[in-house]
Amino acid sequence: MAGTSPALVAAREADAGAASAVKALQAAGQLEDARERYAELVKRHQRRAARIAYHYLRDAAEADEAVQDAFVKAYQHLASFREELPFDVWFTRILINGCLDRIKARTRRERWLLPMSGRPGSRGSAATAAATDGAPPERDLTDRVPAGGLSPEQALLGRERRRAIAAALANLPERQRSVFVLSHVEGRTSKEVSALTGLNESTVRVHLFRAIRKLRALLAGDNAAAGAAEPKGQRRVTS
Amino acid sequence: MSLLDRLGRGHLSDSQFAELWTAGAAHPHLDACPQCRAGYEAFGAWLSGVGSELRAEADDAFPADRLALQQAQIARRLEALERPARVIPFPRAARAIISGNSHVRRWVSVAAGAALIAGFGLGQVYPIRTVLREGSAQTTAHFTAPVAASRARDLTPPPSNETDDEMLSDAFAQPRVSTLSALDEMTPHARDLAK
Repeated sequence: MAGTSPALVAAREADAGAASAVKALQAAGQLEDARERYAELVKRHQRRAARIAYHYLRDAAEADEAVQDAFVKAYQHLASFREELPFDVWFTRILINGCLDRIKARTRRERWLLPMSGRPGSRGSAATAAATDGAPPERDLTDRVPAGGLSPEQALLGRERRRAIAAALANLPERQRSVFVLSHVEGRTSKEVSALTGLNESTVRVHLFRAIRKLRALLAGDNAAAGAAEPKGQRRVTS
Repeated sequence: MSLLDRLGRGHLSDSQFAELWTAGAAHPHLDACPQCRAGYEAFGAWLSGVGSELRAEADDAFPADRLALQQAQIARRLEALERPARVIPFPRAARAIISGNSHVRRWVSVAAGAALIAGFGLGQVYPIRTVLREGSAQTTAHFTAPVAASRARDLTPPPSNETDDEMLSDAFAQPRVSTLSALDEMTPHARDLAK
């Protein structure tokens, strides 16, 4: 698990400075300058926010909306931001809450639109359907992986591997998934994940342990296949 | 049984690797056993591989041009926050009717309501309907009497020696409106008696 690196500390200091400047400009009524300064923060955290939202929602369009909403909400409530807390932690919490609200709304929608949700490749169930039925999801974003010098066979294997990992991740319970994504995709420490999710630090560790164990079990078949295909010296225990 | 005891007995399992990885703990067995150390390293590589695959998947879903577009949309939304909401009048005619001086409109409504209530109350207290009926009857009688008399004069036959009885019988035999009007003038009216 990644610790707090000097680069991260420097980035957080820069964030805190920018956030304070935006707050001051907002208070002074210099809104255009405030927006311009806030654009720096958006640019710095946009990709990370998009990753988190995408892995929460498993839908690019919805993740896009969730990221936009989170940035707008953070700008509106920047006055309530305390400088002693890192901006990225505060912002990520807003984003995660927004994603959870969207998941709840989607669940409600799907409960009422049961015949639609049963369709293969319907939103939210694509990865699960792929994992359980073996049917390809309707919107497979891994199809857009650039080949970049790989042979067609390698590219195909890469796509298959990503699809398997995404399906396995989608099979995890919501909390395990979010803890795993924050820890291993975003490289957060247990303490940071605890601050982001509002869970106890020991609870985060338990969820993370269970998530890893379950992923390992779900991807065990792929591991064996990969092990058989690769030479022993280059063996990489990926699915 | 402690973790150390369990780990000390044999090679570490996947689950134990996960436990060690999650806790961020080191174990002497990993230093002593090259096989477990290799297994643990492979486990770590697998985990980081999964992480990088997931990162790559999300980055493919959000290429640079999409992020730029998203940034522009965020900027637009932030700008829109500072502008007051603009209400488009639709339909145009409805606005003309609805809008206007609401103060005047309110007073007109109140006056109309008050007039209605006052009229109703007055109608209950004062028998205005009876008065109106009487007034119209008197007016009718006032205006019809001279006309009827003149018409009767025109229509009556030239004077003769006949008596009034003969005139009456003649009138009944030839029912004409003007004649009947004259007769009506002579007879008492029920409404007059009721008074």
